[in-house]
Amino acid sequence: MDEKPSVLVIGGGVAGIQVSTDLANRGLQVYLVEKLTSIGGRMAQFDKTYPTLDCSICILAPKMIDCFRHPNIKVLSYSEVKKVSGKAGDFTVEVLRKPRYVDEARCTGCGQCAEKCPKKIPNEWEFSMADRKAIYMPFPQAVPRLMTIDPQNCLYLTKGICRVCEKFCQAKAIDFSQKPETVKIRVASIVLATGFDMLNPSKITEYGYGKYKNVITSLEFERLICASGPTGGHLVRPSDHAKPKRVAFILCVGSRDVKEGMMYCSNVCCLYSAKDAILVKEHEPDVDVVIFYTDLRAYSKGSREFIDRAISDYGIKYVRGRPGEVREDPDIKSLTIWYEDTLSRKVEKLQADLVVLSTACVPSSDAQELAKTLGLELDEYGFFRVADPLYAPLDTTVPGVYACGFCTGPKDISDSVAQASGVAAKAAEVVVAASKGSKTAGMKGG
Amino acid sequence: METRMEDAMEKTNVRYCLKCGKCTGSCPLARVNPEYSPRQMVERATLGFKDRVLRSKGVWWCLTCRLCSERCPQDVRYPDFIRACRAEAASLGVEHRCAHGDMLAELQRAMTVPRLKQNRLGWIPKKASVSTKGDLLYFVGCLPYFDAIMEKVKPDSIAIGQSVIQVLNSSGITPAVMPNERCCGHDLLWTGDTESFEKLARLNMEEIRKTGAKTVVFSCPEGYRTFKLDYADILGELPFEVLHTSELFSKLIDEGKLKFSQKINRKVVYHDPCRLGRHMRVFDSPRKVLSSIPGIQLVEMGRSRAEAMCCGVDAWMCNSNSKQMQVERLQEAKMSGADMLVTTCPKCQIHFRCVMNEKLPKAVFPVPDEAKIEVADLSELVAKALGS
Amino acid sequence: MGEVTGEEKPRIGVFVCHCGTNIGGIVKVPEVVEYAKTLPDVVFADQNLYTCSEEGLAAIKLAVKEHNLNRVVVASCSPRTHEPLFRAACESVGVNKYLFDLVNIRDHCSWVHMREPGKATEKAKDLVRMAVARARYLEAQQETKVSITKSAVVIGGGVAGMTTAVSLADQGFDVTLVEKEAELGGLLNHLHLLYPGMKSASETLAPIKRMVEEHSRIKVMTSTTLKSVKGFVGNFDVALQSDGEESQLKVGTIIVATGAAVLQPKGLYGYGELRGVITQLELEEMLRSGKLRKPKSVVMILCAGSRIPERPYCSRVCCMNAIKNALVIKEKYPDSNVYILYRDIQAYGRNYEEYYRQAREEGVTFVMFLKEKLPEVSPEGREIKVSVYDPLLGEQLDLKADLVVLSTPFVQRETGKELSQTLRVPLSPDGFFMEAHAKLRPVDFATEGIFLCGTARGPADVPESVGQAFGAAARAAIPMALGQVMAEAVTPMVDVDICVGCGLCERLCPYGAIKVEKTPKGKKASVAEAACKGCGVCGGSCPNQAITMRHFTNKQILAQVEAAFAR
Repeated sequence: MDEKPSVLVIGGGVAGIQVSTDLANRGLQVYLVEKLTSIGGRMAQFDKTYPTLDCSICILAPKMIDCFRHPNIKVLSYSEVKKVSGKAGDFTVEVLRKPRYVDEARCTGCGQCAEKCPKKIPNEWEFSMADRKAIYMPFPQAVPRLMTIDPQNCLYLTKGICRVCEKFCQAKAIDFSQKPETVKIRVASIVLATGFDMLNPSKITEYGYGKYKNVITSLEFERLICASGPTGGHLVRPSDHAKPKRVAFILCVGSRDVKEGMMYCSNVCCLYSAKDAILVKEHEPDVDVVIFYTDLRAYSKGSREFIDRAISDYGIKYVRGRPGEVREDPDIKSLTIWYEDTLSRKVEKLQADLVVLSTACVPSSDAQELAKTLGLELDEYGFFRVADPLYAPLDTTVPGVYACGFCTGPKDISDSVAQASGVAAKAAEVVVAASKGSKTAGMKGG
Repeated sequence: METRMEDAMEKTNVRYCLKCGKCTGSCPLARVNPEYSPRQMVERATLGFKDRVLRSKGVWWCLTCRLCSERCPQDVRYPDFIRACRAEAASLGVEHRCAHGDMLAELQRAMTVPRLKQNRLGWIPKKASVSTKGDLLYFVGCLPYFDAIMEKVKPDSIAIGQSVIQVLNSSGITPAVMPNERCCGHDLLWTGDTESFEKLARLNMEEIRKTGAKTVVFSCPEGYRTFKLDYADILGELPFEVLHTSELFSKLIDEGKLKFSQKINRKVVYHDPCRLGRHMRVFDSPRKVLSSIPGIQLVEMGRSRAEAMCCGVDAWMCNSNSKQMQVERLQEAKMSGADMLVTTCPKCQIHFRCVMNEKLPKAVFPVPDEAKIEVADLSELVAKALGS
Repeated sequence: MGEVTGEEKPRIGVFVCHCGTNIGGIVKVPEVVEYAKTLPDVVFADQNLYTCSEEGLAAIKLAVKEHNLNRVVVASCSPRTHEPLFRAACESVGVNKYLFDLVNIRDHCSWVHMREPGKATEKAKDLVRMAVARARYLEAQQETKVSITKSAVVIGGGVAGMTTAVSLADQGFDVTLVEKEAELGGLLNHLHLLYPGMKSASETLAPIKRMVEEHSRIKVMTSTTLKSVKGFVGNFDVALQSDGEESQLKVGTIIVATGAAVLQPKGLYGYGELRGVITQLELEEMLRSGKLRKPKSVVMILCAGSRIPERPYCSRVCCMNAIKNALVIKEKYPDSNVYILYRDIQAYGRNYEEYYRQAREEGVTFVMFLKEKLPEVSPEGREIKVSVYDPLLGEQLDLKADLVVLSTPFVQRETGKELSQTLRVPLSPDGFFMEAHAKLRPVDFATEGIFLCGTARGPADVPESVGQAFGAAARAAIPMALGQVMAEAVTPMVDVDICVGCGLCERLCPYGAIKVEKTPKGKKASVAEAACKGCGVCGGSCPNQAITMRHFTNKQILAQVEAAFAR
């Protein structure tokens, strides 16, 4: 397909974007495949990042746009890798491009079609806390800025009626005749940056997620507190949209748990909950905030100081004790948290109006399939297994295929970005070696 | 079957404790007794404070209800650890106190004598169809003794046994029953007398062998658990199937062998006994049976199934904390909107009835009206619904 | 359409951003837009929900075309993140990037005045007026091309330095690896086993050292230190010193991988006073050399000298390192008691929680302590008593030990401050080198062409240092692969008729970018454009006002000042 040496990057979150731009900036061709309709990944869903309290999408959006407009990067959004053959230095990849039913060349992303579309569905990007239409853009800063028709819910594609979007589109961009398309590309190396999902905590029945409306996960909280989210950033509780008097955060829900969840530590929760707590205080200074923890993991640069600030400057209360259970008062929908404060050794209960569960982060749902497609090994938790966790943390078990960020194990944005640049170096090494015909590069290890 | 604290620590994952406090945050006893904390007990054990653990009151206070283990992220099997501690403590001469003057324990120990001639079956109605041999054995347990020993409470536990036989007969089964049945040994096992427990186990197995039974059914979850788990632990795989009455009734309903002719128009709530629910994971059968009875409307408490709150007593070690817990549970039952609490454990039934009993000294704990609710056993309802 | 050079009459376009509700939720954006329209020379003003989105950028480009704009002012967020984006948009429709200005009405206005929306709106109008005032005098500028030497110098030959050197070399660049000790290997030369995996440090190092020594593109210089660095990205002049001999090097990029020292806390917990109180590093040496005699009881104390007011940071690796050494001791001497006294166990990474669990399984006893009640170490006969208050039990525990091991933090090396000055790169409050952005540029320095990795940047274990090392290699490869970069045009213009050659600017310039030289007109200040970072110190300090900064002329700045008071 191309004469320029190329690299395939799977996953368009902050890590995938970083690898792509690092490679493209040094003159290599990059194909960035993203399964959703827009790149941006998890970081686009966060409100602010720790410890700098930068607005997440504000610092990510320029990178998203840079990436998309880079002459050396071809973003294949709404696409999936289906088949891979070959070896390091020369892989052949088949990418399935799902049909948007919208002409990419004509669509301006004006959104008129969505306004007129009669079919409303819960927006998965907003964790069903807000709706979208059957023709939609997942969030306003989406890159590429294109509408997409959801074939499962579009009235025309499911029932043969409507086509209102077509009537109102001034750019004449609606195209129901589109079909899935497979493109074949040849690349020297492949990089995985598929990120993570969050465990569904409803199986941890004692915390009432799924039963009680005012018990939510931390990702749902990010959208709730975000100015572009379902409540415009107003801190309200889901059951009645009233302002909560007290917000409680419960850490390690499903993490460090050999029975209901995952054995490992999810790494980021201790810090992001402090950040979320600070956001609560910034939005509503008189709301009481309590965080229930077991071990406070503030190990990265500036993070210990961040938590110290949360306590001293923002008055956030920390209780060392994993709650036994959360019970709802059916009349007022407030929640009672039973816990042992292990430092005072007293069993107590606390009433909260909103409970946020820092739930375990798990490998992305498509990791298993990708592992099969690429012939990679997964570890016992479903993360991509690295060749040597000590000296080859960026290599997968297949030479020429590298992985970075959360998809090899929980880590924060700084470590993911550092690793992303790292795999750019490794992917580039393969390209350089391939161009010289050398066999040894691209198979580094301890 | 560990009988020493240190052996048990290895087998019950005690060393994996994260000191997170989820156990103590869940423990119903810790809520009413600030001196009790499973987490602290475990930490003392891991720090090597063996004597302090073995001589502590906490070792005997534990309800062994398993709620802590249910929620523990490191799968610490706290009740099993406690049981082994009790065994070692007893061997060191540490005493504990059971209700009713330890009478039941003495009775159970008396049954360890090999040559025993008991008359335990006098409560079975003449018209009932029972035998000394059969494919299905009904293991009655100690319930015939309860009415005699706890006369003031009027537990009427015998009605459970009579109902079970009635239900079995109605479905065409003539159960075997054993006149020389021994106590299953549950209470002795859980109060540190492992030696007597083993004796009872061997004697029971011998008696059962004589009946030729291929299936043994229990109306008491403690007998059920003790046979299925603890007998198997010390004696190896059992040569018969072990069922609880709720499981058997559920099966009989599926096979169409139980014909309900009487409607029971009651709104009922089901209380999961610890030994049947959390210990043995039988949650659905009792509910299925209840829902099959015509007229019954089944509601749930907030804390049900694996989250159920214990009735507050373990192996007859009862005190004011137990009373507090019983009242809390009864209140919860009443708040569900039901007018009857149904259980599948004769002991839970006794404890609930006991705390509500007007004749008992009020000094222990006053029981408000919001905590007074009718308590019945599943077998009694099933028997009633079958008519006659 | 022809290129806009800025010499025509100004036709200014103002684009005010809502930034979702970040700005629009507090500042009344439509009012600011209407106000902008009233300003002289503003021929177009409009608002956007997200000006940085594709839609917003398209709107700017369209407005430039339709209204013949020759100046663009965007009132939105921070130039640090968004200036390049908008500049690129302007360039794409023929407006020179220096005819664009970004005024921050978010960080400087809506975010800090969240509770006073009325006043915030007025301030936003003031800021826009000031920006428009400057925009009138903006001039098009041309940037200079800087060629990049395709070679790098890596300072530090530990595991991070070696890894980055090999990666750069494999990517086709020549690398000089400078190491102050006589041997490569850094801290790992002193370590026993490494986590995860319990592989020996020497076994881990051996193949890496071999790769370094055998690589045709890597020149290793041991017993060598950095003496001075002059120049700028792509053209660094590096002076090295080896055994009294000096050598010069010309490189395109520099990678700092100088590692860190381990605190030796004299007086803390009896260290340096009591026999039997050692650091984890000293324990590693004992384990490595086989000199550890069977201890009856080992007490390890974590956070010894960290997470305290004078050193508030967490040193990241100590918890896992202590657990690893505890497992090593338990394996060798299963009967020995091992205690680990901790505040929070940082078992955050892949498989770390499993190691922690394994330690508990092997009988390592963990006891928590509070910062308010630190453990007390005192001699007791021939042994040591460690008295610690366990808040989880509410009891004081007295532990007997014949070996007390302190987990002390990584700290910046004594030479760190000097190196930061030599390279003119900053240090964070915790003393380690400071990266350009904590989240998005973890291995870059803000100074172009210099990168960092490993513990020089902050506490890190081997996998993290290695990941960063590859990262730094990738980042350094970019300018070297391209062979050239464009230098910003914010540079000083010297009026040689006014300049008297006093040399004050040369003395003050942090980058060595302006020097007084002999010219036919006498001694005059002369600028090396490519080295200049546009800080403006020269312009601000010239006693004769002979220096004007391009893109920040006196005229432009004074116009802003006047506009500030114009209401």
